[in-house]
Amino acid sequence: MGSGNEILDMYIYETGTLLEQLETIVLEAEKVDTFSQENVNEIFRIMHTIKGSSAMMEFDSLATVAHRIEDMFFIIREGTMSVVSEENRPALFDVVFQSIDFFRGEVEKVEADEPLSKDIDTFLSNINTLISKIKGEDVPEEAPAPVPAAPAASAPAVPAPAGAAGFPYALRVNFEEGCGMESLRAFMVVTAVRDVCGESDFTFEPADVETDSSTSESIIDNGFHLMFKTAGDRDSAISVIKTVGSVQGYQSYDCPPPAEKPASPAPAASAAPAAQSAPVSPAPAASAAPAAQQQQQQHPKETLISVNLSKLDQLSAVVGEIVITESMVTSSPDLKGLVLDAFSKSARQLRKLTDELQDVSMSLRMVPVSSVFQKMTRIVRDMTKKLNRPAKLTLIGENTEVDKTIVDSIGDPIMHMIRNSMDHGIEESQEERVAAGKDPVGEIILSARDTGSEVIIEIIDDGRGVNDEAVLAKAIRQGIASPDVEYSHKEILNFLLAPGFSTNTEVTEFSGRGVGMDVVKRGVEELGGTVSISSELGRGMTTTIRIPLTMAIMDGMEVAVGDSIFTIPINNILSTMKVAAKDVIHDSSSGEIIKCQGNFYPIVRAKQLYQLQHGCTNIEDGVLIWLEAGDHSYCLFVDELLGQQQVVVKQLPAYVNSYNIKNYGINGCTLRSDGSISIILDVANLYSAARGM
Amino acid sequence: MNDEILFAREDEMEALNTVDDTVDSQKYLIFMAGHLKLGVVAEDVVEILNNQLITYLPMLPDFIRGIINMRGQMIPILDIRARLGMEPKEDDSLVVVINLGDVQLGILVDAVDQMLDIPKVNLLPMPANSTQLLVSGMCSLPDGSGTMMVLDCEQLMPNE
Repeated sequence: MGSGNEILDMYIYETGTLLEQLETIVLEAEKVDTFSQENVNEIFRIMHTIKGSSAMMEFDSLATVAHRIEDMFFIIREGTMSVVSEENRPALFDVVFQSIDFFRGEVEKVEADEPLSKDIDTFLSNINTLISKIKGEDVPEEAPAPVPAAPAASAPAVPAPAGAAGFPYALRVNFEEGCGMESLRAFMVVTAVRDVCGESDFTFEPADVETDSSTSESIIDNGFHLMFKTAGDRDSAISVIKTVGSVQGYQSYDCPPPAEKPASPAPAASAAPAAQSAPVSPAPAASAAPAAQQQQQQHPKETLISVNLSKLDQLSAVVGEIVITESMVTSSPDLKGLVLDAFSKSARQLRKLTDELQDVSMSLRMVPVSSVFQKMTRIVRDMTKKLNRPAKLTLIGENTEVDKTIVDSIGDPIMHMIRNSMDHGIEESQEERVAAGKDPVGEIILSARDTGSEVIIEIIDDGRGVNDEAVLAKAIRQGIASPDVEYSHKEILNFLLAPGFSTNTEVTEFSGRGVGMDVVKRGVEELGGTVSISSELGRGMTTTIRIPLTMAIMDGMEVAVGDSIFTIPINNILSTMKVAAKDVIHDSSSGEIIKCQGNFYPIVRAKQLYQLQHGCTNIEDGVLIWLEAGDHSYCLFVDELLGQQQVVVKQLPAYVNSYNIKNYGINGCTLRSDGSISIILDVANLYSAARGM
Repeated sequence: MNDEILFAREDEMEALNTVDDTVDSQKYLIFMAGHLKLGVVAEDVVEILNNQLITYLPMLPDFIRGIINMRGQMIPILDIRARLGMEPKEDDSLVVVINLGDVQLGILVDAVDQMLDIPKVNLLPMPANSTQLLVSGMCSLPDGSGTMMVLDCEQLMPNE
């Protein structure tokens, strides 16, 4: 993080997470065209948090917008979704989406250290119009509206008398003059007291300090009051209150002074009628009491924390060192010949723990692709609206885990392809789709799966497909293709990925911009992956992105050949077997063939292929591993199986990759637990290499 | 033996620090490869490692011995003797890891000789008709122990 400012980093992270959460809620809600009360509460809470933290960071524009949205959802929360009439709902969803975009944009500016946009008036007036529309609808059917409002308003009033009755031992806390944020400080007091007393053993007033900052004024004037069931609770509370910052002093008294009682419920009560007309500032006060209760139920303890990626890198490096050092210590030559029972026992324990540590540290960097996929839902949603082409996005395998760095960089290529599918793939009119015998609603499938050596991401649409002739004509016009050559279907599709090719002559808001799919190709290739397109005219198009799991974890079988150790992805292994020499069939070109389960498969000898000096030559001494990858199926002959391992895939240094060893099926390497290196094989390329020999 | 080198290097560093800095000079690490004394710019040297287990990688030119694991990083190992067309080295004990741009490369050497500050004016070009590979210049060592050839690290990179 360049900013070096932890609070700012935290703010950016937190706001980002909240916005993602919000977006998911709204997207889900839009499908059913209503917000459930739970959703409304959640949105209210998210906006409230954003408002608070933005105000703290002094990003006033963000705080203002969040405040207005919060107000809007306050109205909805009070009156449930029924206050928003059918025709206003699309506008409501749009406003929420716009606000998400606004916050995202602003947070990006904060991140980039750019000035925030000052001009939020149009956006604010949009929200205000919507609010008054919602309220306007509200007026004629005024009758039911006050009903939900009334209990809410009376809610804060209830604890006060109850406090007087059931909680006779009271405490008045005063804060230092001018310390600011009194409501927040009061809430800190409450939290501190909660640690020593039971939740039900005390109550406090004003009751809504957590959610309503306007209570600050009443706290400044009247102090903050805590009421306890027993004197003992009060004594223990006093001891913790002393430790809370900015507390100037406290007084204990045994029953609330009569003047207090009418004074403090008054603002809350007066807020109730006001809620209808001007819900801006007093309104939250009325709602705050139920809000506080709900929030406690809805907030499971935060179980996720954010960690800087560089720390994770550091961790995996250190863990790697530990594992190696552990084996250096336990197999130290100094220990040779000594009988050390206790030592060996502890050493075994240590080995077990370091193994566990390694597993955990390996899994830390892996994150599901769902965060990227979710964003696509939003893009499809926006585009269906703008282009007026109904389409749905189906996500498959969004829990596939890939390395964090990959997740960060696949977003743009996928987005580009999705936009392309929406813009050029899905038919312009539903009639056209119906005429072609398809569902009037277009479908785009975004799927991810992990094959053990790579992640395959597919974007499939059921649209028009690629018109070969149009593409070829365009390619010729652009000077990419030559008019005299006959191109195959596949070659024509590849023109789509060529630089400077863009089939749509008009630049549209979404996919145009004069850049073509070569950007996608370049982006994916930067990750070491490949892009391929297949298409059938009238049936749609499939884009397949394959990305190697750079630092991904893989289950592999370790095998030995001579002095070398290789790791074969478990997914590729069908079975292993020992065979007798007589079972091997020799063909005319000195190739060997073996029969497995009714079919014949060629044998590839690893020692021969890689020209290794040592290793078994007699087929009966070694093991055959029956492998399958894509269309290839064959048996690899190795010396012995060493066992199954979960390994971290490491790329080979660029220096050796430049000798094209990937073409020989040498795909990467991995560190073994003793610090030595095992070579990861690519089953498909290995076979191609063996056949080419 | 490596310890000796390392300590010697430290001693020399101190000695070198007292040398007149104003002369435009460059520090070189000098190592032995067969009968040759080869120098690389000391700033490029990341580390000197010994007793590394080199993992053989198949399908590579003879002069690439394989890769080693340096704190989780995979470093390719180049047998400088084989690369220069000499007899390949038998044991794999000593590796000088150098940093070329963003590529790290380990060079398998016979021994590390010394670290020296060499004024740029003393560095002479190779004779025009020399067939010596990978060398960009040479210089007589001030202590009279021989001649250093400056290894052209750029040329160690695979040529595509």
